Amino acid sequence: MSDTEIKGPGYRVWFDAEAATVHLEGSLRLGTAEYEPIAALLNSVIERRLAAISLRMTDLVFLNSSGINTLYKFAIAIRKLGDIAVHVDASSTISWQSKSLPNLRKFLPGITITLH
Amino acid sequence: MNECIDCIGDFKDDWPSTAGGVRVAGVHVSGVCVSGVCVSVVFYPADFAVRWSQCSATADFFAEYFAAVEACRSDDPAARDEFIGTLSYVVNELVENAVKFSVGETVEVTVGVEDGELIVMAANQILATTATPLGEKFRELLAGDPQELLFARVEANAEDPEAGVSGLGFLTMMADYAARLGWRFAAVHDNPHNVLLTTMARLEVRKP
Repeated sequence: MSDTEIKGPGYRVWFDAEAATVHLEGSLRLGTAEYEPIAALLNSVIERRLAAISLRMTDLVFLNSSGINTLYKFAIAIRKLGDIAVHVDASSTISWQSKSLPNLRKFLPGITITLH
Repeated sequence: MNECIDCIGDFKDDWPSTAGGVRVAGVHVSGVCVSGVCVSVVFYPADFAVRWSQCSATADFFAEYFAAVEACRSDDPAARDEFIGTLSYVVNELVENAVKFSVGETVEVTVGVEDGELIVMAANQILATTATPLGEKFRELLAGDPQELLFARVEANAEDPEAGVSGLGFLTMMADYAARLGWRFAAVHDNPHNVLLTTMARLEVRKP
């Protein structure tokens, strides 16, 4: 497993450095501890201190509450640094995204979210 | 249906050894599975430890099943996806919790639709000694504003990298899915060390 890609049954999380984009795909319903590698990947992206990054979640069909927690923590970590612009590509037809993603604006006020 | 916030009351020192003792917090239905469509799945202890992927499979089963039930069915693909996504999320969270906190007896998951409402229940036994602190936690959840509690919990989680649980399951159901939650603690007649905890989520079925 590389530090820019995590694969498991039914999911894949990977960082495309050229496009400065983290892709989250599939169905993520892991236990809290099992999210640690994904949190580490997200933190490693933060440590690159890029001016702007994107999160692409249009193919992330399910995310359980532990995963949502991981995502919100990522947003708060970026807010604390204050100098990384974040854009989210999401899907309006995926239930958890239309319901829970708008909360990201609370944790990272400058974030932009596009619903496809 | 009983709906109450404070009726969980104080657990007496000898609870739950008092025969038939029951405590309830939040929305609670006593007559589920009377008239509408209702399906239960029971997991026996030999099946444990249930893997997370099995919780997910259970959630997907109930969601697909009820998407085809007349009271929930929709010909609009977007509405169907929305229904499946919502029911699947709620069932998955309740099953994950029930499996995580079960002390080794059966876990029973029930979904029913009655009077335009979806009712999701998960029942598992917990240690009697954990009933009082859990009841206190549930009372706090019911008394506060779900959105504010969710925001505060996420900020607290971000401050505590060692936190073993996110605590967001019930809060996301309440704040993001408008689920009405309830809990029922019942004495286990042949085992005073355990209490049967039934968690219930009620969701409106939105027919397009």
